[in-house]
Amino acid sequence: MAGFKDLNLDEDLAVGRSSRADTRFDTTVGHIEDIIMEERFQTLQHDFKEKYYHHFTDDEENKLIYTDIFKEYVGLVENYIQGELKNRISGFSMEDFSKTLENRHDQIGGDILDMLLSFTDFVAFKQMFLEYKSAKEGTGMDFSDLITIRSTTSLRDEHQGMQIDPDSPREGPSSNR
Amino acid sequence: MGLLTILKKMKQKEKEMRILMLGLDNAGKTTILKKFNGEDINAIEPTLGFNIKTLEHREFKLNIWDVGGQKSLRSYWRNYFESTDGLIWVVDSADRRRIGDCKKELKGLLLEERLSGATLLVFANKQDLPGALSAEEIRDALDLESIKTHHWTIQWCSAVTGEKLLDGIDWIISDIASRIFTMD
Ligand SMILES: Nc1nc2c(ncn2[C@@H]2O[C@H](COP(=O)(O)OP(=O)(O)OP(=O)(O)O)[C@@H](O)[C@H]2O)c(=O)[nH]1
Ligand SMILES: [Mg+2]
Repeated sequence: MAGFKDLNLDEDLAVGRSSRADTRFDTTVGHIEDIIMEERFQTLQHDFKEKYYHHFTDDEENKLIYTDIFKEYVGLVENYIQGELKNRISGFSMEDFSKTLENRHDQIGGDILDMLLSFTDFVAFKQMFLEYKSAKEGTGMDFSDLITIRSTTSLRDEHQGMQIDPDSPREGPSSNR
Repeated sequence: MGLLTILKKMKQKEKEMRILMLGLDNAGKTTILKKFNGEDINAIEPTLGFNIKTLEHREFKLNIWDVGGQKSLRSYWRNYFESTDGLIWVVDSADRRRIGDCKKELKGLLLEERLSGATLLVFANKQDLPGALSAEEIRDALDLESIKTHHWTIQWCSAVTGEKLLDGIDWIISDIASRIFTMD
């Protein structure tokens, strides 16, 4: 497990400065990998989806509120990973790690990099919510084939308190407030 | 800066561009986006939120963001400024009545810190309509010549016929590429 990877890193005087930095970099990447694979992180994501999925609808157009939720999500994931790194690596500095990262991001495994990047991709984020929602609302349920009448209320679109510009020169579906 | 932000910035160096398309409501932003993407443009409704399309054009991946332009939505535009490489400002060339509004909103955007590095393309849209102001007239009405802070150009077009859309997009891509990807 991740716990001992960083032990005695600084005391290992046999290794040179640059290879020590290498080890530290690899160790940090290893920790990140652990952190995002652990159940606690899955729970964090799950709770977040549970809290907000009702806002999401399978429309091409995105609601403005998605942007707020997205920002919160990126911040949550980022803070969580950074906080965990600080817990696991004594003297961890995000700043130092970032500097190394600039030169070596091609040395992080493709899978983990893709996964990290997916946390910042809005389209992937929306997809994640839509999948959660559809799993939640039927298709994923064990007894779904026993139910013949399903509620459609959750499919209704809420307009999120959107105001409509009275000056707009054009009539739209928005006018039936 | 956080971990994810850094990774994202690095990724963006790889031939990806973020384009933000703004303008008053009814200017034709969503129509341009869909036309450019080869979609049907007949049933487009006013945008209350935003649309995103990712298009491959030339060797670039373009992430185009189109945010609704109604007055009540304009205060949300700021949420989409971050990391913008190119700003497309769409004008309804036949809407003479609101050309002053249009100028004011654009001027405001050009003062935004987070858009300071963006290339500006103005689309003088709806040129197929009789009575549309020409691109030169729009240029003067918006006082574009006074812009010293951004690379800019104005391009006439019609989102309905598709005329000149590609010319505008090609220009903005080239300008961004020459600013950003010269290190490659
Ligand atoms: N004749 C003509 N009509 C156009 C053109 N482009 C757009 N329109 C029409 O103008 C109206 C508004 O177009 P939209 O694409 O919805 O405008 P928008 O800028 O996205 O508007 P908001 O979403 O409210 O910000 C639609 O009825 C379009 O069909 C054009 O080039 N010529
Ligand atoms: Mg629109």
